[in-house]
Amino acid sequence: MNMSEPEAFQQAFALALAGEGTAGALFADPAIVRALAVHRNTSAKAAHDALAANFPVVRALVGDDSFAGCACAFIESHPPRDPRLCFYGEGLAAFIAEYAPFSQAPYLGDVAAIERRITETLFAPDAEPLDQAEFLDALDLDAPLILHPAVRFVAVASPAASIWLAHQPGAPSDALERLAWREEAALISRPGWSVQVAVIDRCALAFLTACQRGEGLGEAALAVTALDGVVSTVVASLISAGAFRAQPT
Amino acid sequence: MDITAGLGFKTEHLAEALTSRAAGLWFEVHAENYMVEGGPRLAALDALRQRRPISLHGVGLSIASVQPPSPEHLTRLKALADRIEPAAVSDHLAWQRWDGGHHADFLPFPRTEAALDIVVGNVDRVQAALNRPLLVENPSLYADLPGHEMGEVEFLAQLAQRTGCGLLVDVNNIFVSAANLGFKAETRIDAIAGELVGEIHLAGHARDSDPASPLLIDSHDAAISDAVWALYRRLIARIGPRPTLIERDDQIPAFDVLMAERNVAEAIMIAAEGDYEYV
Repeated sequence: MNMSEPEAFQQAFALALAGEGTAGALFADPAIVRALAVHRNTSAKAAHDALAANFPVVRALVGDDSFAGCACAFIESHPPRDPRLCFYGEGLAAFIAEYAPFSQAPYLGDVAAIERRITETLFAPDAEPLDQAEFLDALDLDAPLILHPAVRFVAVASPAASIWLAHQPGAPSDALERLAWREEAALISRPGWSVQVAVIDRCALAFLTACQRGEGLGEAALAVTALDGVVSTVVASLISAGAFRAQPT
Repeated sequence: MDITAGLGFKTEHLAEALTSRAAGLWFEVHAENYMVEGGPRLAALDALRQRRPISLHGVGLSIASVQPPSPEHLTRLKALADRIEPAAVSDHLAWQRWDGGHHADFLPFPRTEAALDIVVGNVDRVQAALNRPLLVENPSLYADLPGHEMGEVEFLAQLAQRTGCGLLVDVNNIFVSAANLGFKAETRIDAIAGELVGEIHLAGHARDSDPASPLLIDSHDAAISDAVWALYRRLIARIGPRPTLIERDDQIPAFDVLMAERNVAEAIMIAAEGDYEYV
């Protein structure tokens, strides 16, 4: 079947934008080649700016030029598919982990993994969080605590959450020098309307992991005691971070 | 007029936007930035909506695309429109979608009868999904394509006639296109049927960063030029006041700086309204 004229044009233009050929008669006109360059720059800038907005600490760590180089390579191999560019950057953490120019800084992929989850948390559905009083009122060892839809947590091989926190306004100026180089787990949550990143210990990580698997409160508590943790402390700090949603009434 | 001149809403301006006492002020947002499930950005828009009319300006419907708008995208846009109850919903006479990819720019196409049929079909789909008319914006053009069967004004007028959509006239885009393609902006402005115009956009432009290029770029990163203000005055003097938006998407200045530009547009509309009363 022959392509319609609009379809043939859009295919030729899209392929040319992607750098996959400007052989057709259309591109014999230098004015059209120049227009093509404007459109290519504009869409690449929009994609770059979306990544810069979503990965500000990665960008601060490597500098604007290195970030732009990495973003450009990512955009070429993972071009946007969703018109909602505010979500763009899924897969950037894995891309950075394999990106040769950053191989001397393996923590960059971990920082990107945290920043990706911040984006997810920012736009996740709203839900009433569980508060301490409600938790104590409805204490049921067999029932699972349900994670809030805006909660994410991640364990990484580097102190990426501490690095991220050191880049926030108001962080101590020597925060990076005082960094202990070890693996870390981060909780990303949205108590109230602001996104919060916190370094969590292995007890909190074990508790959240058990909750995510749908285990009852009793089972999840055992995961904490197995690590010599204090269940009430772990649960209270997670509740205050908005980690759980209110129980359905 | 309930709605006079408005501003593209920037989240960093939320406090000032909520407390401004300017009569007739309204705000426009890029719909895609708010097509999310929840969180603070959507909550800020909800709060602003309590105080001010909001217009949803789409940058991703791709209504000139041979591939129709994705059902998921339409569903999300409908959900946002139901939530915000916007004063207007608009998007561009352009395409972005090809083969599952999204080019984040407004791509041109030859304005043929076949292309018109495609755009009519897509606008019909959008309007049916939203259950309201769409305003369609003229994009900035950077080269004259071969194969046009009609001019932009005629294409948009036929689109409006066949779909019932309205027009969003971007005066800066007409200025930029006129400079790039070598036509007279005043003639283009004068050819637009006033009764179709539901909204007007004003923005700044820039020279192409490539020094070898003679092109103007629709950059939305600068103040509105005197030439664009002159075209706006000319349009308003002929068709009367219309909701007018100051667009700024890069190099965002302080709220007051944008309000000063917005107040110029409002003054031009008030002056034009005065003329109408005396005629």
